[in-house]
Amino acid sequence: MATATSSRRPRGRHLLAVLAALAAIAAAAVAFALPGRSPGRAFPPLLPAAAPAGWPHLTLPSGTAVLSYPPALRPVTGDTDAVSAAQVSPNKAFRLYLNATPRQGEEQPRGWAAFRLRLLTGDDAASARELAAAQGVKFRGGTGSCVIDQYVTRIGAHHYQEIACLVQGRTSASVIVAAAPAATWAQASPLLLQAVAAYQVR
Amino acid sequence: MSFTLIRSAAGAALLAVLAAGCGTAVTAQHAAAGGHQHRAPIHATVTAPASPAIAPASPAIAPASPAIAPASPANPIPQGNGGDQDADNNGGPSDGDGNI
Repeated sequence: MATATSSRRPRGRHLLAVLAALAAIAAAAVAFALPGRSPGRAFPPLLPAAAPAGWPHLTLPSGTAVLSYPPALRPVTGDTDAVSAAQVSPNKAFRLYLNATPRQGEEQPRGWAAFRLRLLTGDDAASARELAAAQGVKFRGGTGSCVIDQYVTRIGAHHYQEIACLVQGRTSASVIVAAAPAATWAQASPLLLQAVAAYQVR
Repeated sequence: MSFTLIRSAAGAALLAVLAAGCGTAVTAQHAAAGGHQHRAPIHATVTAPASPAIAPASPAIAPASPAIAPASPANPIPQGNGGDQDADNNGGPSDGDGNI
């Protein structure tokens, strides 16, 4: 009896040590699997709301979304299936920019931020970096994934900051982009975010 | 014999914890480096929009990634009025197209 007890204790201790080691290894694995744990910039909350009275509207040629823009902006030309409005300075510099475009490629709500940054550097940006991102953002008529980022254009090395959202409506998805020079984002963002919050999808 | 096994297990646990610490430190360092490269003084304002349309709603928030996208696309759209000749191929803000 005494012999049986003494032989069981070391086995129990052994089991305990193995369990502790496994727990530590699991903790290490979790630590490696979560590389983005460093505190990020908070994403500004968006509350979908109709545009103020007097804001003009641009409807996508497909009829699947409506972009409302502040009266200080004017419609500008862009892709045939998209709509854009901007405030441009006399020397042709963009001060405020809004664009809505139907989903064209492999844009997905999941991984939208990474997709957008890849697209920027694959198209017109020399570099781009994410500042904040959010999923499950409520829009008028849908839900979206958004990213706020900064990028530098390859032409002119202009520094822009933007919020770009992929918004899924009942029948279709589209992208809304609101941008301003990075240096004036602080002044521009309230108006731009208001336009994003007023974006309506179908 | 069993004491040796216990020591081995404890050693493995210690190594695992140290490895986790190193991984976290590397991540933090990378984040700091990434954030430093293009920092502009107005970033903090992103978190404090003052629009009446903005309210403290609660979308699922994902942490910002400090990663910088590579600047070497495999097949870039030509700039200088290239591609579809819109503003973003001439130094303007990028539109929302899917690059197709």
